[in-house]
Amino acid sequence: MVNLEDLKKEAKRILEEGKVKYIIGYVRSTANNLAAPAFISKPDDIDKLIWDPSCVHNLAKFLVDEKRRKKLAQREPDNRPIGIVVKGCDSRAINVLLQEKFIQREDVFIMGLSCENAGVIDEIKLKAKLKGKKITKLEFDVKADPAVIVHTKDDDKDGKVKLAVSEVLAERCIECQARYPLVYDILLGDKNTKKAEDPFKSLEQIESMSPQQRWEFWQEQLEKCIRCYACRSVCPMCYCDECVVDTINFAVTADTSAEEKAQKIKWIEKSPVSSENFGYHLIRAIHLAGRCIDCGECERVCPLDIPLRYLNKKLEKAAKDLYDYDVGFDPEQPSLISCFKDEDPEDFIR
Amino acid sequence: MEKILTKKTFPKWVKKLDTYEIYTPILKDNTWSYELIQDAEALDLDSLNPNTTIVEAPKKIILPQRETLLEFSTAEDGTPKIKASLPEMKPTIILGVRPCDAKAVSLSDKVFGGEYTDSYYFNRRNQTILIGLTCLTPPSPNCFCTSVGGSPHSQEGLDLLLTDMGDKYHINAITKMGEQLLKSAPELFKTPNAEEKSGVKKLLAESEKNLKRNIAQVTKISEKLKDLFDSPLWDEEAMSCLRCGICTYLCPTCHCFDITDEVTSSSPLNGKRVRVWDNCQFPDFTMHSSGHNPRPDKASRLRQRIMHKFRYFVEIHQNYQCTGCGRCTSLCPVGIDIIDVLEKVRDYG
Repeated sequence: MVNLEDLKKEAKRILEEGKVKYIIGYVRSTANNLAAPAFISKPDDIDKLIWDPSCVHNLAKFLVDEKRRKKLAQREPDNRPIGIVVKGCDSRAINVLLQEKFIQREDVFIMGLSCENAGVIDEIKLKAKLKGKKITKLEFDVKADPAVIVHTKDDDKDGKVKLAVSEVLAERCIECQARYPLVYDILLGDKNTKKAEDPFKSLEQIESMSPQQRWEFWQEQLEKCIRCYACRSVCPMCYCDECVVDTINFAVTADTSAEEKAQKIKWIEKSPVSSENFGYHLIRAIHLAGRCIDCGECERVCPLDIPLRYLNKKLEKAAKDLYDYDVGFDPEQPSLISCFKDEDPEDFIR
Repeated sequence: MEKILTKKTFPKWVKKLDTYEIYTPILKDNTWSYELIQDAEALDLDSLNPNTTIVEAPKKIILPQRETLLEFSTAEDGTPKIKASLPEMKPTIILGVRPCDAKAVSLSDKVFGGEYTDSYYFNRRNQTILIGLTCLTPPSPNCFCTSVGGSPHSQEGLDLLLTDMGDKYHINAITKMGEQLLKSAPELFKTPNAEEKSGVKKLLAESEKNLKRNIAQVTKISEKLKDLFDSPLWDEEAMSCLRCGICTYLCPTCHCFDITDEVTSSSPLNGKRVRVWDNCQFPDFTMHSSGHNPRPDKASRLRQRIMHKFRYFVEIHQNYQCTGCGRCTSLCPVGIDIIDVLEKVRDYG
């Protein structure tokens, strides 16, 4: 079982020894008592660290920020590594960042936590179970029948509910293929190698639809999109300097002609209408083919509950079926979309 | 004018309002939002008070995320043609609007009214009647309306305010338009008796005590912000910010927009000039054509959001541009808590 005190001890040690610049971990949010990302640089703040079933965020995202900051640094940047707390899925994101040479192994000191026989919660499922009761604290109970223990407060009365993980876990955790970190400097918790029998089970419903039904399904879903770009912004794989939806690198000088300004390519209009929403979401999905490690963050953060994970999961399945490619398991393997092998199938190209 | 309407009679009243388009809180795919209802009679009164955050604020009805300002085309002889397209909206009622959301509409009225009148906005606004519902219990654990000059039974921006009294609603008419609505079906309403009058007073007073969060000494914040433009506080608070647009797009008071031309054909030139919501958290927000970006990083964008709501708006309109609805906090994917940030501002240094 993961002992939080062990994590704190290690985190404190590396901070005190000056081994890392800061540590990215989880603390309790002031907004809802669930986990929130935190950046800790003082050893005295280490006690704020938590590890519970609400630690859903993929903190690898913040390595992208760190790289940007380093690039913009006016003075000599502090090149010490960043300490980062990761789950199994998050570690696969780090593997992809390593594979794509976006970061170097020595840039990070990885504190891996195993989800053992549990995972993290789906807040919507949990809230439905609690029927309006306010959460004060969550705990893992990873014994024979894994469960999540929820401490609640309702009309100032304290309560405690034990929920089986099957009732409240995020769908991606139910379908997880590696509940333990694959790359780490320290590892806490048992490596539970039990895999989900069918990692693509959640796709069944959509795959059983006719193309027409599928079209209608996605049209209805993507119509809701308000283009807040939270799905892109939360994704650790979305690290382009300039995103296709932002136009920030088109500088106009005294010599820029009207023609040049007019010819500036606008791939997607800002308008949240069906055609543009499809454009945005399909570009996003295709860019993640063979790169998405299924942390499910895009779907979690969507304020309108668009089931974005299905798009990525479908591409993950295609990569698996066509090329037997697993994402994020090996930082040394060539990446799916930038390599070619003679034996690659091509019978689906028409 | 005060009236009582039983819940049993409520559908009859709604039926009488059938010349209006009626929006109420509706649940779709786990998300509450104010949506147009097709069948007024089938209205579920429980849905008026979902007891949770209504994710999309009513601003999307009055200030839609995208609207056409004008259409341009080229005549056969090459003459450019421009056609303004002012919106025509049917008379509309937003029923069950939260008092904080109605207040937000009145704040937007200040922005789009005043020195210049934005007729696109007011063509819709003037057709809209807001019927509010007192929040007897706070819909979100992050509600803090009472800290920013609001209340769970605030009348600002509303035409009518309903208060749930169990098997009936107490209705307070706030504007002439509201009174008209009650007068159109006088047989449905009765005048409250003394017991009902004191009952509603008690409920309203109680409602103010149920909020779970507040900011003490909020008046200090605007003053304090004047000295914090270059503070490292913003870097610290924005560390976990993802640069997404949730806090601003879903804010009931945020109203920034961008105007772009959507060209459907370049020769002959045809297209539309549209107004689309813009977002201070995005990298191209107020990006200069020279390439200079006045807010190049997420710290300066968080600062902009807070400064606009608690300093600039106060200076211009003598009001916070925040109604304490708690959406930005409850919906932030990384738990950035506006109350926490404001308290840090207040206590800084």
